[in-house]
Amino acid sequence: MADLTPAGASPLAPNTREQLSAIANIRWSIFKSSLRTMRGRMEFVSWIFIAFWFAILGLGGSVSLAAGTWFVISHGRTEWLPALFWPIFAYWIFFPVIATAFTETFDSANLLRYPLRYSTFFLVNLIYGSLDVSTVVGTMWLLGALVGAAVAAPAYAPWSLLAILAFGAANLLLVRAIFAWIDRWLAQRRTREIMGILFFVAMIGFQMIGPLMARFGRRHVQLPAYLTQAISIQRFLPAGLSAEAIARALHGEWLFAAGALALLAAYAVLFLFVLNARMRAQYAGENLGEAAPRQQQSAAGAAPFSGWRLPGISGPVAAMVEKEARYLMRSGQTLFTLVMPAVILVIFRISANPGRPHGGGIGPTFAFPFGAGYMLLLLSNLIYNNFADDSVGIQFYFLAPVRIQDVLLAKNIVHGAILVLEIVLIWVATRVLYQPPDAALVAVTIAAILCAAPLDFCVGNILSIYSPKKHDFGKFGRQRASGTTVLVSLGVLIVIAGVVAATIFLSRLLGGLWVATAIFLVLSIVLFTLYRMLLGRAGEFALRRREELIAEIAKAS
Amino acid sequence: MDTPAISTENLTRRFGEFVAVDNVNLRVTPGQFFGFLGPNGAGKSTTIKMLTGLLAPSAGRIQILGLDLNRDPIEVKRNIGVVPEGMALFGRLTGPEYLNFAGRMYGLDRDTSAKRATELLEFMQLDREPKKLITDYSHGMQKKLALAAAVIHGPKILFLDEPFEGVDAIASGTLKAMLQRMIVRGATIFLTSHVLEIVERLCSHLAIIHQGKLVAQGSLEELRSGVQAIAGAEGAGGANEKLTLEEIFLRTVGGSRTDDQELSWLT
Repeated sequence: MADLTPAGASPLAPNTREQLSAIANIRWSIFKSSLRTMRGRMEFVSWIFIAFWFAILGLGGSVSLAAGTWFVISHGRTEWLPALFWPIFAYWIFFPVIATAFTETFDSANLLRYPLRYSTFFLVNLIYGSLDVSTVVGTMWLLGALVGAAVAAPAYAPWSLLAILAFGAANLLLVRAIFAWIDRWLAQRRTREIMGILFFVAMIGFQMIGPLMARFGRRHVQLPAYLTQAISIQRFLPAGLSAEAIARALHGEWLFAAGALALLAAYAVLFLFVLNARMRAQYAGENLGEAAPRQQQSAAGAAPFSGWRLPGISGPVAAMVEKEARYLMRSGQTLFTLVMPAVILVIFRISANPGRPHGGGIGPTFAFPFGAGYMLLLLSNLIYNNFADDSVGIQFYFLAPVRIQDVLLAKNIVHGAILVLEIVLIWVATRVLYQPPDAALVAVTIAAILCAAPLDFCVGNILSIYSPKKHDFGKFGRQRASGTTVLVSLGVLIVIAGVVAATIFLSRLLGGLWVATAIFLVLSIVLFTLYRMLLGRAGEFALRRREELIAEIAKAS
Repeated sequence: MDTPAISTENLTRRFGEFVAVDNVNLRVTPGQFFGFLGPNGAGKSTTIKMLTGLLAPSAGRIQILGLDLNRDPIEVKRNIGVVPEGMALFGRLTGPEYLNFAGRMYGLDRDTSAKRATELLEFMQLDREPKKLITDYSHGMQKKLALAAAVIHGPKILFLDEPFEGVDAIASGTLKAMLQRMIVRGATIFLTSHVLEIVERLCSHLAIIHQGKLVAQGSLEELRSGVQAIAGAEGAGGANEKLTLEEIFLRTVGGSRTDDQELSWLT
């Protein structure tokens, strides 16, 4: 047998460059293979569309930052530099956490079976994990700022480059460290639940800041003191330090400039240390399996567990409804979805400004329709990716003697029930926070939702079959829908908003909201009939696409 | 003549240019414990997926208890139970919830479903932690639960894809005892496994698939005598000794132990 070991190379210490190149090749092959399927091609088209808008955002921001930095430096207003750098930092760090639909996730754990050196493993994580839009756009913005600074003060260009490089490195390391630690917490169900609650509270708190500041901030005469304090604190954080390093250098205060740069570098090292701690643990092969510690065994022979009885619904559909309801209630994400419309009304109520002619926020008149519209938007995440949480359980639907349309019907029933519950919740929230909503407005809103829901269910069922995406709660950013689904759902939302606006405009011309209510009710009957017709077809589609559907939803995490 | 429990006619499945299953004609009689063997990539899983409705055939016909799977899938599925490769479990349900769900999906009423779920959980020794989510079960517990769900409606035919993979000796014993009891009561079991010793001990009839084609089918004795006859005709050794299933399998698929081969660079 031929000796397969290349001459002069140690077989147990493979070349790092070879490994990196092999990983790049495999990713390229995976990408090429994905284009062989219709779904893969659709995803690619969606990706191009999304990339186009992010390219505009990146280029637009880059030009604006170049102009802004040039203006600030050439006009000697360097105290405004932090105001340019902070948005870059905020976008770079927070966008990937909030908008997971556009966040690239790279799981390097599978590479651990190969004899990768730690440095290679770390590098792979850093390089491939950084190929997401926030890093690309953030880098473009930093380049813009660098060009602006270099044009405004060419002599200081090398120093500006250093400060901006250090800032970029700190951002990159921080965002990777955040992802790595979030993944650590998401890997186990218990920590995942705690994480979900914390995330929910943080998101609400984040949204409350603006309204609370707007409402209570103005009452305090010492507001400038707050600002002064904030400004002084920000100077010691990465974005502020980067701006400070450039500004101080421009003023010839090299000692302070060097100090700021050194502190910025220290931040980068700190983030590197935090990321390194996580990567080291992963490299060491930590076990973060789902298996819970052995619980105290309860007495054998527990009382028989009976399923739900749902009048008017057949046994299998009732069983499916029960299963869906239990699944949803065990998902923190769903509970988050359920309360968000009411929370958003609270936020708008707080931000209402009695001093302004229209009160600010949303007025009491539109609180109910606004909440309902927001709820519809949130629910699209559930409705448009019906099978996402089923995992290997999806096989059961094709093994059991049930029609797939019954499975879809059960899922739609649960989503419909959530919709009804939400409408009641929003009505109560509107009544408590504002005033009892006007009956005509309630009627037209409910009629509009009755019209939108069957359309959403129709499109959602089809997209769930043709563009499914498995949810993986153990990995950050793997709870999103596919790019195609995101784009189509946006399209449907625009259509719904257009039809609603046109109908209401027409009804105003014809004499009142009741006309719009009637139009929506007629439309809802038409759309419900369409839904019934498409439900049967959806079952056929699902059967035809069962292999692709099972392959995606039941794939290993 | 009895209606076969499972029969296929020219069953074929292509993936693009690749023919994974090529004109397979299977026949399984009611009451048989049928082992379906083949090397990796031979087409076992593809075949079992087609037989259970998880995959559509490119050509050919499948009949289960005389019913055409393509024409009457719901009625066929009512009569069969399946433990597929991925076990088809819902991780965020508890064991009792899942078994109840499975029972009702197979058309049992609430009370019957609840009663059988309780009995099955006791039998499988899964009744100690009724509140535990399936995602927190060990692999062996999940296998037992998947089997419990597959039999809750009392199927006439049971399809098992690698049922003993990753299962410890105790759980394996429970499963084997249950399967043998089902055979005694007249059920048909169609099983794929790589563990030839288990197949040899449990199965009365076998089929071997190789490169998508069915290369042998019959009782263990029939296969043994067939292989021995060929060996005798070729003057090879083993014509008079009692061959094990492993030997039958290796001779049928044309494989051989590679004791004499070696990789020079492998320590």
